[in-house]
Amino acid sequence: MAVQDSTRSSSEGKSGDDGEDLSIFHAENLQNNMKSIYYSRTFLSIMGGVVAGIWGFTGLMGFVFYLLIMAIASLGLLAKAKFSVGNYFDSWNRIILDGFFGGLMSFVLFWTFAYDIVHIF
Amino acid sequence: MAEDLVLDTAIRDWVLVPLSVVMVLIGVLRYFVSKLLRSSQTPDAKVVREGQLILRARNLRAAGGFIPVKSFRARRFYYTNEENGLLHVPKGQAQNPQAQMFSDPNMAMDMMKKNLSMIIPQSLTFAWVNFFFSGFVAAKLPFPLTPRFRSMLQNGIDLSTVDVSYVSGRSWYFLNLFGLRGLFSLILGEENAMDDTQRMMQMGGGFGVDPTKNLGAEKDGIDIIQHEWTLPKMEQRAEMVLRKLVK
Repeated sequence: MAVQDSTRSSSEGKSGDDGEDLSIFHAENLQNNMKSIYYSRTFLSIMGGVVAGIWGFTGLMGFVFYLLIMAIASLGLLAKAKFSVGNYFDSWNRIILDGFFGGLMSFVLFWTFAYDIVHIF
Repeated sequence: MAEDLVLDTAIRDWVLVPLSVVMVLIGVLRYFVSKLLRSSQTPDAKVVREGQLILRARNLRAAGGFIPVKSFRARRFYYTNEENGLLHVPKGQAQNPQAQMFSDPNMAMDMMKKNLSMIIPQSLTFAWVNFFFSGFVAAKLPFPLTPRFRSMLQNGIDLSTVDVSYVSGRSWYFLNLFGLRGLFSLILGEENAMDDTQRMMQMGGGFGVDPTKNLGAEKDGIDIIQHEWTLPKMEQRAEMVLRKLVK
């Protein structure tokens, strides 16, 4: 978790400072935040794949593990955004869903790779 | 589940690992080659001007609520009036994008280079994999799948008795092709994050875009929007904040 947190330290978009109905976003900062989410998700899914493979998860267990990792990632991002998502992102889906399916492919690949090397041969 | 196959460790050492390593290295190589081939051409002044103009107009449209009505009207007039507004394109001046492409061979050349740097390594690797590794059972997925995936995962093995979760060498190549995208975006930076399909789509869009059409669309957009003053209580808010500061 430490790594993915440190990736998004540089410039965090300060946006939407009045909490009524109007929200103001700085597009570049928003993009930067989304990029850091993407990186952390990708990194976590690769690492998670390797870990799942080494631990020898098979079948549904591995996917549950992936879900768990993504949930932890969401929590971490939420904590990093100081539990006020509106200040950093334009919707909750950014934290919960973004990069979920993109990471799945990497996860499966590295899971298979590590699993085969450790357990099959 | 069928009885387990015993895979030789030599397959791991000579098929599974080399294939993955080569895929990663080729991805890196492709990145640097395409970086090398990318020619930095000086863009046409007119094109840049129009692009900036559209950006400015878009800013006005997005943030129009933050300036008073009067200023907004003045700006809108500046952009859209029929005589010399910046976004107003006189009829007949619109040039054909196709003609423009023929007049500028650099553009086509650039596109071809990009295309080549994408296609050549891919087809070469595929040929290589096909030649050396097509018959192996290279890996085993750690999760069961339905037989429908057989044609996808056991490309190159024509045995119907092998369990579906075994993956042939050629299919391992495809899995790598899709799954390594994330890794590339991590190790090569964001430029590579844009994957090939997106690039292809962009290229397709790049052909038919007419800059003057963009100007016209932007003009219509500005004409349509209503000005809404978004900061009606700004003075009170400012007073509040200042008081808090003073306190």
